[in-house]
Amino acid sequence: MPDFSPIDLAVPFFVALVLLEMIWARRHRPETYEPRDTLTSLAFGLGSSVAGLLTGGAILALSLWLYQFRLFDFGTEWWMVWWAWPLCFVLDDLGYYWFHRCAHRIRWFWASHVNHHSSQHYNLSTALRQSWTSFFALSFIFRIPLTLLGFHPAMILFVGAFNLIYQFWIHTEAIGRMPRWFEAVMNTPSHHRVHHATNPIYLDRNYAGTFIIWDRMFGTFQPEQDTTRIRYGIVRQLGTFNLLWSVFHEWVGIAQDVWRAPWRHKLSYMWRPPGWTHDGSRDTSDMIRARWLERQGAFVDDCVEIPVPNDNSIAGREKPA
Amino acid sequence: MAFLGQFLASLAAIIVLAWIARKFGLGRDIRIQDAQHAQRLADEVVCGFVAQKFALDESGRAALLRDSANRIILLKLHGAQFAGRLLGPGSSARVWQDQGKKSLEADSGERWFGKAFLDVNDPEDWLIAVNTARISAHA
Repeated sequence: MPDFSPIDLAVPFFVALVLLEMIWARRHRPETYEPRDTLTSLAFGLGSSVAGLLTGGAILALSLWLYQFRLFDFGTEWWMVWWAWPLCFVLDDLGYYWFHRCAHRIRWFWASHVNHHSSQHYNLSTALRQSWTSFFALSFIFRIPLTLLGFHPAMILFVGAFNLIYQFWIHTEAIGRMPRWFEAVMNTPSHHRVHHATNPIYLDRNYAGTFIIWDRMFGTFQPEQDTTRIRYGIVRQLGTFNLLWSVFHEWVGIAQDVWRAPWRHKLSYMWRPPGWTHDGSRDTSDMIRARWLERQGAFVDDCVEIPVPNDNSIAGREKPA
Repeated sequence: MAFLGQFLASLAAIIVLAWIARKFGLGRDIRIQDAQHAQRLADEVVCGFVAQKFALDESGRAALLRDSANRIILLKLHGAQFAGRLLGPGSSARVWQDQGKKSLEADSGERWFGKAFLDVNDPEDWLIAVNTARISAHA
């Protein structure tokens, strides 16, 4: 069994790549970074590793306990079964897709995952903007099926770490598009920019971790459009760099909504999509997209050109996959 | 102990990276250029919002926009981007006078989103509009 932490080893490379991207930004697109935003993102990353250290033991203990109920057994030397590693990676990535989809569609999970999306910038430091509250949100439950299937928790943690490392480099505007075959199978900067966008057409799309095929299979794929200027962040931008508010704002929002809501609607504020209200006073992403599509329809009916600015300096350089 | 060392090294790296971002002059000095720009930003806050009336701060750092339903959006500079809020029950406005010049303070009512100061031509009109929007949101 490999005896090292892939993420610990990757951290110096993360720092070096952020620095390289800053040098690129200085020359080409200074607006890609904002010092206070960068500081907040990196502080998120540090806080997330502390949270991981505090809660990782409990998750591992629970996983090891569940492992005794496994369906298949790879034997006592499970780490020697070479094909189990890539299989575990692919299945873990599939699990990640569903975790990620739920993290956007169920407010309870969103309250934790929103941390990763709350920057209005999209750069490598955004990749490190990780949640402090994923344990509290019970995000680890999405990996339980793999344990019950028979993959050892240590193997799952190991491949999960590589999945996370893969996702680092796709948080950049410095790369336009990768070769077509790569864009077809893998998650790329272009696909993931769409995921971080708040443009109605892009909302809740491209949930993939490593392989974009899951989005293509489950109908959530949206290619980046050369004609659409991407806006990053969340539908209701925070408007502050305060770290603690950035970490906990959605949890506070849930608590306030649950407190104020009539009894029969209280639970809905936890499990329904972000933006849902019992009185329709806020918008979910589906409502925003529907309204936007309606407007586009009206524009087309009136034979007026759809008003999207043709200034996507990133995707505009290359042909879509 | 090893984790403490790792934590301190990461903290140092974070501070150095943020310092470099500042030293490189990253970010941008962005301003609301005109009503069309403000309209585009407001549409990002509330999809489909069509402003009928605009109050653009002279320096371009903030704006208020009102639609036909008397809903008001406050836009304010946030780092190298803009952020906005549809003003509601907690929002308020005040007019300040300094050396004969009047300016408008529009408060979103959200502690962390905060308020914006606007040098506009007709602060009193917007004072009434914001406070009316607050009352309608309460109703």
